[in-house]
Amino acid sequence: MKKLGIIKDWVKEESKILVLGSGEGEILKILGGEKKTHGFGIDIDEEKVFQAISQGLSVIQGDINKDLSDYPKKSFDYVIAHDIIQIMNNPDKTLKKCLEIGNKVIVSFPNFAYIKIRLYIMLSGRMPKTKLLPYEWYNTPNIHLFTIKDFKELCAKEKIKIISERFSGFGKKEIPGFLIPNIFAEFAYFLIE
Amino acid sequence: MDKKVKLNSNNSVGIVKTKFFNFAEKPDELILSNGIKLGPITIAYETYGELNSKKSNAILVFHALSGDSHAAGYNSPDDTKPGWWDIMIGPGKPFDTKKFFVICANVIGGCKGSTGPASINPETGKPFGLAFPVVSIKDMLIPQKKLLEHLGIKKLFCIGGGSMGGMQALQWLVTYPGTTQGAMLIATSPTHTAQAIAFNSVGRFAIISDPNWNNGNYYGMEIPKIGLSIARMIGHITYLSEESMHKKFGRESIKVANSPLANFIREFEVESYLQHQGESFIKRFDANSYLYISKAIDDFDITDGYNNLSEAFQNIKAKCLVISFTSDWLYPKEQSMQIVKALKINGIETTYTNFEAEYGHDSFLIEDERLKKLFAGFLSSLGTASGE
Repeated sequence: MKKLGIIKDWVKEESKILVLGSGEGEILKILGGEKKTHGFGIDIDEEKVFQAISQGLSVIQGDINKDLSDYPKKSFDYVIAHDIIQIMNNPDKTLKKCLEIGNKVIVSFPNFAYIKIRLYIMLSGRMPKTKLLPYEWYNTPNIHLFTIKDFKELCAKEKIKIISERFSGFGKKEIPGFLIPNIFAEFAYFLIE
Repeated sequence: MDKKVKLNSNNSVGIVKTKFFNFAEKPDELILSNGIKLGPITIAYETYGELNSKKSNAILVFHALSGDSHAAGYNSPDDTKPGWWDIMIGPGKPFDTKKFFVICANVIGGCKGSTGPASINPETGKPFGLAFPVVSIKDMLIPQKKLLEHLGIKKLFCIGGGSMGGMQALQWLVTYPGTTQGAMLIATSPTHTAQAIAFNSVGRFAIISDPNWNNGNYYGMEIPKIGLSIARMIGHITYLSEESMHKKFGRESIKVANSPLANFIREFEVESYLQHQGESFIKRFDANSYLYISKAIDDFDITDGYNNLSEAFQNIKAKCLVISFTSDWLYPKEQSMQIVKALKINGIETTYTNFEAEYGHDSFLIEDERLKKLFAGFLSSLGTASGE
């Protein structure tokens, strides 16, 4: 499952954060409350942005694919890309932009090599549907699914430094790193710079 | 509405009196952007709510082309309509008069109590007419800054306005950086587009083509009714959206009762609506003021004196809320997004939404619960106006 607790652990008190796909402001509110962060958000959905601004949050209605380059370089302590990088047009470009505007970037994503997904494809011969990936192949927003191994390869290629990595799977449990995450982790968290 | 109902309603500021502030007496006249001196100057303004002891709860709202200082409540029990932003200003409303001290002033060049072309020229003892100097959006702000000084307010809690009101707010941020905590820039633009200038210029042509206009010398005589009402009709079309006009009027038509050809002549409802808009406008607005203010809007360019928009915004300190409306084709979202981009480049805390609204450019003047929530949420994010 997706755990915000891991993100909370990584974000330092009173830091300046940008949340990509901030929605109605859940992460901004939690981190603002518990970590006293100075938070900003960007989301494309008018209704969600309306809900966020109505609660007094600083959110811009915009397109992450295009609008990240307007922020000054290194203007955030953390850019948080929680469960969103796989829906971007060019996840690699978005990642690079995040690293430009943020000192550190927190990326989280569903691991497509998770054992249940592997078995689903193998046994049913169809695109997998899980709690985290509930869509049909034709209406999924997740247009760039990838695995933990894929992500690490990209980081190596782009010389992105992985500071920390944590995983979750089998319900809400955190999976220790020695348990072959690329098989047993349903969801992965990376702190990179 | 029943008089008693409207005045006793618990979210109205009730009866308000327009106040007047005089300054720029000789030899301290106001020097306008074009170097011309203007003075003495009278500014009509209204205030709602109470200024707290630290003078930290003041909100300055700016009106649009045809607006005035009467932003909320009623000037007399006989008024049929409240002030132009009554939906937003009052007890329990977003600009909550139980918490905030809201100020609205009529711009110079206007015709609702502030010095404008219909005022008496001290040189001649007659109305200025075209002898009134050309004023810019920036010039309109100077008297409002003086008014704040007169009221003893050094820093505002927030400023805000839509359309030309948004231009004034934007100019305020650039000209007086550090004088407000927040700013609401609504349905506005860094500069007027050729299309928007074109519509304004047709309005001006209508006025100056009216024989009664007489080079601006019509005071005490027949006024250029037809020209001014055509200008208003054109303007009004640009403030609405195709969708809202279709919903309100469709292709409905009515018989023209007074005509002997009543069975043949029918008038579309949208036609009689526009005629009504024109006719009621000429009773409350001065044609020369329309020329001066619409010209100030057309001439507005926030980058004047700077190389580009982000350079113009470099000293802005305020937290900004930028709103465009989905159905506004006169000030489309791209113009608001230019503002947002330049604010972001400068690292200014910015909030933006392209708000779903069907009423076009005028959507900020229409009752909308979502819009009220948005305003209230933004104001709450500016902190509390402490200091009772």
